[in-house]
Amino acid sequence: MTDYQPHGVEAPQTSETSGILSVSGLTHRVGLDGESITILKDVTFRIDRGESVAIVGRSGSGKTTLLGLLAGLDTPSQGCIELDGQAISELGEDQRAQLRAQRVGFIFQSFQLLPALTALENVMLPLELAGQKGAGDKARELLERVGLGQRLRHTPRQLSGGEQQRVAIARAFASNPSVLFADEPTGNLDNRTGETVSDLLMALNREQGTTLVMVTHDEHLASRCQRRLAIEAGVVTEMGAES
Amino acid sequence: MTVTGKMGSVSRDMRERDVRVVILALVVAVATVATIGLFASLLQRTLVASASTFLAADRQLEAEHGRPIPAEWWQAAESRQLDTARMVEFSTMVFGNDRFQLVSVKAVDDGYPLRGDVEIQPGLAGERVTVGHGPARGEVWLNPRLLRLLSLDLGDTVEVGNLTLTVTNLLIREPDGGFSMAALAPRIMMHADDVPATGVVREGSRVEFVALFAGQEEQLEDYYRWLEPRLEPAHDWKSVKDGQALSRSLERAERFLNLGGSLAVLLAAVAVAVASREYALGQRDTVALLKTLGVTGHRIAAMYLKKLLLWGVAGCLAGLVIALPLVWALALALAAILERPVDLVFDAHALVPALLTVLVALFGFAYPPIRRLRGVAAMRVLRSDPGESSWKASGDIVIAGLAVFGLVWFYAGEPMMVLGLLGGAVVLLAVLSLVAWLLVLGLRRVAGGASAWRLALVALYRHRHSTLSQISVFAMTIMLAVTLVLVRSSLLDEWQGQLPADAPNHFLINIAPGDVEAVSGFWQERGYPLEDLYPMVRGRLTELNGQPVKEAVSKDERINALNRELNLTWMPAMPEDNRLVAGQWFGPGDTRGVSVESELAEKLGLKLGDRLGFTIGADTLTEPVTSIRTVQWDSMKPNFYMAFPPGSDLEAMPATWITSFYLPASGKNQLNDFAEQFPTVSVLEVDHIIERIRDIVSQVTQAIEAILALILAAALVVMAAVVSATLRDRQREGALLRTLGGEQRLLVRSTMLEFAVLGFIAGILGVVAAEFAVWALQQKLFDGGFRWHWNVVLPVPLASAVLLALFGRWQLGPVLSVSPMLLLRRLE
Repeated sequence: MTDYQPHGVEAPQTSETSGILSVSGLTHRVGLDGESITILKDVTFRIDRGESVAIVGRSGSGKTTLLGLLAGLDTPSQGCIELDGQAISELGEDQRAQLRAQRVGFIFQSFQLLPALTALENVMLPLELAGQKGAGDKARELLERVGLGQRLRHTPRQLSGGEQQRVAIARAFASNPSVLFADEPTGNLDNRTGETVSDLLMALNREQGTTLVMVTHDEHLASRCQRRLAIEAGVVTEMGAES
Repeated sequence: MTVTGKMGSVSRDMRERDVRVVILALVVAVATVATIGLFASLLQRTLVASASTFLAADRQLEAEHGRPIPAEWWQAAESRQLDTARMVEFSTMVFGNDRFQLVSVKAVDDGYPLRGDVEIQPGLAGERVTVGHGPARGEVWLNPRLLRLLSLDLGDTVEVGNLTLTVTNLLIREPDGGFSMAALAPRIMMHADDVPATGVVREGSRVEFVALFAGQEEQLEDYYRWLEPRLEPAHDWKSVKDGQALSRSLERAERFLNLGGSLAVLLAAVAVAVASREYALGQRDTVALLKTLGVTGHRIAAMYLKKLLLWGVAGCLAGLVIALPLVWALALALAAILERPVDLVFDAHALVPALLTVLVALFGFAYPPIRRLRGVAAMRVLRSDPGESSWKASGDIVIAGLAVFGLVWFYAGEPMMVLGLLGGAVVLLAVLSLVAWLLVLGLRRVAGGASAWRLALVALYRHRHSTLSQISVFAMTIMLAVTLVLVRSSLLDEWQGQLPADAPNHFLINIAPGDVEAVSGFWQERGYPLEDLYPMVRGRLTELNGQPVKEAVSKDERINALNRELNLTWMPAMPEDNRLVAGQWFGPGDTRGVSVESELAEKLGLKLGDRLGFTIGADTLTEPVTSIRTVQWDSMKPNFYMAFPPGSDLEAMPATWITSFYLPASGKNQLNDFAEQFPTVSVLEVDHIIERIRDIVSQVTQAIEAILALILAAALVVMAAVVSATLRDRQREGALLRTLGGEQRLLVRSTMLEFAVLGFIAGILGVVAAEFAVWALQQKLFDGGFRWHWNVVLPVPLASAVLLALFGRWQLGPVLSVSPMLLLRRLE
């Protein structure tokens, strides 16, 4: 996993006690109709390896922006984000892409499966992109683990919302990510299906020891995380750990 | 196959509608361009083969001044697998039946003619037959007039220099007879191997050695490349394209085919551009997802580039699969029209433009929006961002403009043609933006409601961006198709006008001044009045402003008119089909001055007032240039480089008269009476040449019709492609409208009206732009003027309205036949 060592970037720290994500002085502004709007203001926090953290807040509070910045999908206007010891805000677009390929997994509200690929192929995709061998076997194993062993050849259109999100979860865990980012993973599902999906997510997270960073409206889901960070008008506050 | 491999596979891509459209456009482009390319090359070969009979070969090399063609040149031709034949032409006196007569001799070897046939008559009363050879050694074939002049019969002998030859046939027509009026003496044909024995031809005597060549076009061109540096001013290399009357017809046909090809390229490019932009927009989510999965922009660009190349290969192969049988079918049709087998050779060179079209369509049109995919923000997976800004797309237009300009230039080889086309496109876009702006302003005021008209107009306003882009594409397509139709019509009209049914088809030459009235009376009595009669004095242009003319003009210019005698005339009024380009025609009472043909005037660098000196026999005549005029060389009437006013000093010189007239086949037998009554008058029968030209024109017309049909089909495909680009949105809207309680009838009517309005506006814009494009093309390529073609200005917008309304109805099909719920779920 660590053949990745971009020029000018420090090697990852491997200490178990170190934070896997550390954010300091993070500020993000966007231009809208010629005006600059501040979405995040001087945000500082740290997430330890293996932790599960929920980011909660009202619509438009900046949750999704924060998630995007933490995952290196966007770069902040100011401040520093370190993922596994690497200052991702200083990496180029391609270097961030490589970092994501090796250490990051995603789960989205709208599932984001490729419609032309079958369930199996969707899960195989990140493995093949990372050049891993035996992608088919591993993808099959994961789909069986999420209860879709019988639906391998089905395309997203032939699956229900809950099934599609289970495929997405299998895909997210396929590349053994260090950090898993989830954006409203149950937002498009009914309560019962949402419950099943979140059970699965938490279980897999525990099994694989992944760090989970999740944006959610769902109080119940948030309460299943070890920590909660609340965003209000761009300012992040720690809500304390819960069991 | 791996998942990434599958993602790049053509068959998987084909599941995407936009990819199907891109590939379909490529297929249509390749099929059209390849068909045109292959068919044009086939047609070219057939036409050239047919027209080659005017030269009795594919190429002729004439060597004047009595120096034979070097042996090395013959060897070079033979080493290139060219067929060759040898010809010697000279004038001499022949002696027969105790009389002398000046004749023009054509001595040919066994290879003659390489193309076409010789028409002979084995006796005055016998049937005319065509043969593929000249006379055998010891034999001579005589023009019928000479037979009468010498009072000979077949089987008699004539002496040519020291050699006695037996008259075995009457020579009726030579394949390379042409219209040249330089050879006025009656013709005899003999074998080239007999020439040395006559003792008439010696090194340096006034004799013309001619080499005939026939073979594959590439080999002929290769030979010419070898030969060109060795040619001297006394050598003249002739190809069919140099023949005056045919050259213009062939040249225009070639230009038309090229124009057709260029339009096909443009149409394909439009379709590819529209579909690939739609495709790229649809791929943005996928790209964003791939980026979150860690795929770099570089890798994404490479992946899409590979896709493009695969589409290109698929489009090429499928296009060829369509083109090859189509060309084969066209060739069969051509063979049926011509009543002769057509040499079906697939010329690989003719496929180059098709392949280039694919590359340019892909990289000039499809690639720019797809290339920008690498720049799609990964953040898009979390929050969809607005579509790309239009200034990025305007960059695409610049790239596409340059690409298409380069491609069409390469294809048509006519920068003016390309400028005409692109100029039309620019005018169209300029007018379009203005109209579009007005349209948006106008539609904003339309209130919504339940009437079909209101729904239609509101929909046009609501989709104003796609409305505008669809109008532009339709207008462009209509412009291209209408341009082609208009150019074709004016081309055909002009051809028909050039050779009307009663075009003069016989020339009378060498009429003695005393016979003019009698000759005129002879034909008047028989109901075939003569056209204008012109006096003709033969003289050389020898001086220009007091200097010998060959010194006065540039040495680089090889001007045939200076190497031979010109036919000089005097005339009171300028022939109707001539046009003054400088100076004034002679006024009443003017006796000085000369009017010069414009092309010769240009070659000699003449201007008004320059003094031209002519040598006529032992006399000289010097006159100032008082006017310069154009001449219709292909009018089948006597034409003159130099015309003098009546009463000029030229009238004092010995003149004969010339005229042309129309004699139908039914009047042909009058020629025998005429020849008996006026034995010294030469009759030049050009009816067969006119027929041949008409034949060729009709072949070209057929080809043009076939290619036009192909291009119109391509235009329809483009329109269908563009309509289907908004298929999804419109179907979703239709399904929603139905869900909300919209009646089917209302939906159908409003959609058809919406498309009809769109089609009508595009039709008007397209027709107006086409008129200007045609004007530009006519001006630069086909020598015509501007006029409105009212017969298309109204019908085309109406037709396009109807056509698009039908397309709209077709698009709505699934909305009406499937339940709205199913459709909405399917479209999700």
